[in-house]
Amino acid sequence: MTPEALAALAEDALAAIAGAADPDQLEVVRRRVLGRREGALTRAGAVVATRPPPERPALGRAFNEAKGRVEVALARRSGQLQADALARSADGEWVDMTVLDTEAERGRLHPVTRVLREIEHIFRGLGYSVAEGPEVETDRFNFELLNIPEDHPARDGQDTFYLSDTLLLRTHTSPVQMRTMLGQPPPIRVIAPGRTYRRDNPDPTHFPMFHQVEGLVVDEGITVGDLKGTLLTFARSMFGARREIRLRPNFFPYTEPSMEVDVSCFVCDGAGCRTCHQRGWIEILGSGMVHPQVLRHGGVDPDRHQGFAFGMGPERIAMLKYGIEDGRELTVNDVRFLHQF
Amino acid sequence: MRFSCNWLQDFVDCADVPTARLAERLSATGTEVERVLEWPGGPPGVVLARVVELERMPRSDHLWLTRVDAGGPEPVAVVCGAQNLGRGALVPWAPPGTVLPGGTRLGLRRIRGHPSSGMLCSPAELGLGAEREGILLLDGDAAEPGTPLADVVGADRVLELEITANRPDCLSHLGVARELAAALERPLRRPDCTPPPRSGEAARELVRVAIANPDGCPRYCAEVVSGLPDRPAPLWMQQRLRAVGMRPLGLIVDLSNYVCLELGQPLHAFDLERVRPGGDPVLVTVRPARAGEALLGLDGVERVLDPPTVVIDIGGVPSAIAGLIGGMAGAVVASTSSILLEAACFSGSAVRGASRRLGLRTEASVRFEKGLSPELAPVGAARFVHLAHHLGGARVHPGPIDLHPGARPPGPPIRVTGEALGRALGMAVAAPEAARALRRLEFAVQEVGDRLAVRPPPDRLDVTIAADVLEEVGRSLGYDRVPATLPGRRCPAGTVASPAAREAVRELALGAGFDEAITVSLTAPLVADRLRPLAPPWPPIEVRNPLGPQGSVLRLSCLPGLLQAAAANQARGAERVRLFEIGRAFWGPSAAEPPEEPLLIGLVDHVPGGDADEAARRLRRLVALVVGVGGRCADGPPEVRQGRVPGLHAARAAELWAGGRRVGAVGELADGAREALELRGRTVVAELRLDGWLLAGGPAPQARPIASTPALVEDLAVIVPARAALGPALAAFAGGRVPHLESWRLVDEYTDARLGPAHKGWTFRLVYRDPARTLTGAEGIGLRAAAMEVLAEAVGARRRENA
Ligand SMILES: [Zn+2]
Repeated sequence: MTPEALAALAEDALAAIAGAADPDQLEVVRRRVLGRREGALTRAGAVVATRPPPERPALGRAFNEAKGRVEVALARRSGQLQADALARSADGEWVDMTVLDTEAERGRLHPVTRVLREIEHIFRGLGYSVAEGPEVETDRFNFELLNIPEDHPARDGQDTFYLSDTLLLRTHTSPVQMRTMLGQPPPIRVIAPGRTYRRDNPDPTHFPMFHQVEGLVVDEGITVGDLKGTLLTFARSMFGARREIRLRPNFFPYTEPSMEVDVSCFVCDGAGCRTCHQRGWIEILGSGMVHPQVLRHGGVDPDRHQGFAFGMGPERIAMLKYGIEDGRELTVNDVRFLHQF
Repeated sequence: MRFSCNWLQDFVDCADVPTARLAERLSATGTEVERVLEWPGGPPGVVLARVVELERMPRSDHLWLTRVDAGGPEPVAVVCGAQNLGRGALVPWAPPGTVLPGGTRLGLRRIRGHPSSGMLCSPAELGLGAEREGILLLDGDAAEPGTPLADVVGADRVLELEITANRPDCLSHLGVARELAAALERPLRRPDCTPPPRSGEAARELVRVAIANPDGCPRYCAEVVSGLPDRPAPLWMQQRLRAVGMRPLGLIVDLSNYVCLELGQPLHAFDLERVRPGGDPVLVTVRPARAGEALLGLDGVERVLDPPTVVIDIGGVPSAIAGLIGGMAGAVVASTSSILLEAACFSGSAVRGASRRLGLRTEASVRFEKGLSPELAPVGAARFVHLAHHLGGARVHPGPIDLHPGARPPGPPIRVTGEALGRALGMAVAAPEAARALRRLEFAVQEVGDRLAVRPPPDRLDVTIAADVLEEVGRSLGYDRVPATLPGRRCPAGTVASPAAREAVRELALGAGFDEAITVSLTAPLVADRLRPLAPPWPPIEVRNPLGPQGSVLRLSCLPGLLQAAAANQARGAERVRLFEIGRAFWGPSAAEPPEEPLLIGLVDHVPGGDADEAARRLRRLVALVVGVGGRCADGPPEVRQGRVPGLHAARAAELWAGGRRVGAVGELADGAREALELRGRTVVAELRLDGWLLAGGPAPQARPIASTPALVEDLAVIVPARAALGPALAAFAGGRVPHLESWRLVDEYTDARLGPAHKGWTFRLVYRDPARTLTGAEGIGLRAAAMEVLAEAVGARRRENA
């Protein structure tokens, strides 16, 4: 008996362990090597004990090493065989993990609601509250109090759906401005989202029913600069931090001065593209300083309080943002269309 | 409206300004440039030629043989098919070799055996206008034959501008030139209105004017002009008219249109000889129309008039609808040489009313209806007679007529200060700077220190208050100079509205796999009535002026619209259609009062195959969803009351009740409704009212301690009638009549032969617990009896033995 013989014994055992194909074969190997009586290594151990004392330390070390290697190999192989066995039995319960249960699929938010939520979120962050008003309005709130006189073209039956002599479907959410002013003293910071109606024959950019978000701020010392800053903040929050805005003079009966607001094109960064009709700017909303007469109608003293107001169309923003070419899609509710959002 | 840059150049130097800069400056001051057209001049090679011979081609019904003097040694033979030539006419001749704008290359040809050299051209052939019939006729004295056409007709640049409703002054070249002059900081030149020499009979000897209703006509100016030649307007004038989209029609009409487009004052010419047959002065009366009075307009349409419409009555004959259209009766014709020229101010509301009643809009009416200044009328008349005299050699009669019953003394000036302007804009504004800006727009400004007294020019009726002046100053200085700030003031303490409960409901629907739809609130009466489970028994409210029958009433429920969308999706082959909408409906007895506007959520889940069991599963899920939505409410989840709901399946429908109110309905769509919608398969629907109870919020839920003593768990098997509903059974358990009962749920529902078709079996798992001690088995017997008793009462249950 030599240390080399013990090592050779271990090598043989390791090869047999590696060759065991299942736990039963492994057990046979174990018994053959480490069995209490007939195990080859066990017997070699007994022989070591019979050698003269001077040989024993070296032989003992070699024996312990050989036995350790075999035991580790047995444990490893056993674990491996068990895992293989488990895997084989689990395979019968195979689940294709890439299949999603369509029943549990989440529904899609309408693109206009997406935009409305974003707008609301931005203005809530600026300290605005959200107000609502009826969709069936009176002529007085929809027009008269907003400085749109009796014979103004906007009041033609051409543009407005009438229900009676005095009731109509609101043509904008601006009446909510007036209801808010009459309902609370300044300071006021409010947005009014909601459905509005115009007697337009539907085409890609005109719809008899659409949404509007109107905003109103009334306080002491409100300036055109405040209007500009507010809308710049909105434009950057909505369309990206690099956006610029420009105010173009325009005309609305309920504001003076009135301006149209353009935002630098978020597709081409102002270089000119299809979205902005090569202009580099996109018109996104109308705005202005609240007309003194409108303030008075709302019970606000224009010498003390000033205000600005703005109005925007979520459909238009949705069309721009999501590249919707025909806005009529927005009320068709084709699920193929809705599933894009 | 279209504007010619050549024309604008008469009043302000702008020819040298690149188009992009023009557009940018105009846009910055509030006039949007929608389009820019390069308007060509005469094509190279084309020269002016005079027709010296003209005869019909033998055996042709339309061709003419002409010889024209084109400045060469010999007249040239040209065959021509136009019918408007006369001997002596000056026309454009394109010699052989000319390439016309359409791409045609001309040559020497023979037409039916007759030689024809090049061609005589219509405006369309020259690219100068739309007129294809008739050769372009030039003013006979315009130039010598042989002159290149391009020398007479230069190229132009045409701006199409969007003029806002408050700026009728900008519906004129002078008005836009004024804007441009201010925007470019260049001087403005006013058109030449120098009075021509006057001669002949005084106007008042020929015409007397009376205004019967000054409300409709604050000012009426008139001139008598005679000796007008029968020839076209000068080519440059025709070219300008064409460039802005107007067709030249002859000297008198062209002059009127020209002045209107130049100054914004509509003019109208009556043929004096036709309206004044006798020797006495003819009486012109501006008066309301008589009911039923008819007038044959210049457009050939006869219109029956009503009193509020204002007419111009000449010698007892209605000869024009004021500010709208002239009549055939006194219309100028080719031979007209004497005219009565009207330059009036008609009130905006009168013209707008007439325009609306008659369904007619004209160049004149679009200007009048926005409100023109009475000061403009005499300017328009003066410009016309100036041009008629200088361009047409006409005689202008003495004593121009000017009735001005609406004359008002000027009001006080508008007072502003530089400080106030700066405060409103949010930047420093020096009074002199503001004054300079205003003066460039022809405002009269008096400056005293920081204070300005401002008077707008007479045609700027839109400027009346300080805020209007602010706008003028703001847009002149440029809003790009205004620093962007946020209103940073203290707001009183208050509450912040919780992120809307509505959004939470929306999330629940999305989470359950429903896609959000937005359907139009306007619908057809039949559709609105089809399914309206929550609406009171009123018919839908009608729209008086719908676009069509499909949108003639306001909806009573979200469901019909959603079902239409589902049907459309199904028709397109969609397999999974599960839609919801949150929106308002409109409930009211009539349109006399504002209707109630409930906020509803409607849900529609379509089962394409039409399997009844699958539909039942979907229905249960839908019920769970709406009850869950309702669980947000302070009153707890709504109670499901199974029963009939119109439009829904008789055995698969329920109402939802909360706080003593009906707040929802849920069920499967009845066959009838399904067929009406052409929906195949089955569809389950629900509608729930959100406002009033659900969105109102309520007290926060209160936690109870969770007991740790062991529970007594028992399965209770009972037999109930086959149509027994679970809801009442669960409600009975919840009633608190079974002591220690902590939770209860149905774990099995079954039928078998022993039960027979009239009964079914239910097994409930009941959990009893006393927080203080362990319940004993003996107690369990009593508890079971109590539970049985409650169930028997609620649903007629009896005990199932040896289950
Ligand atoms: Zn772009």
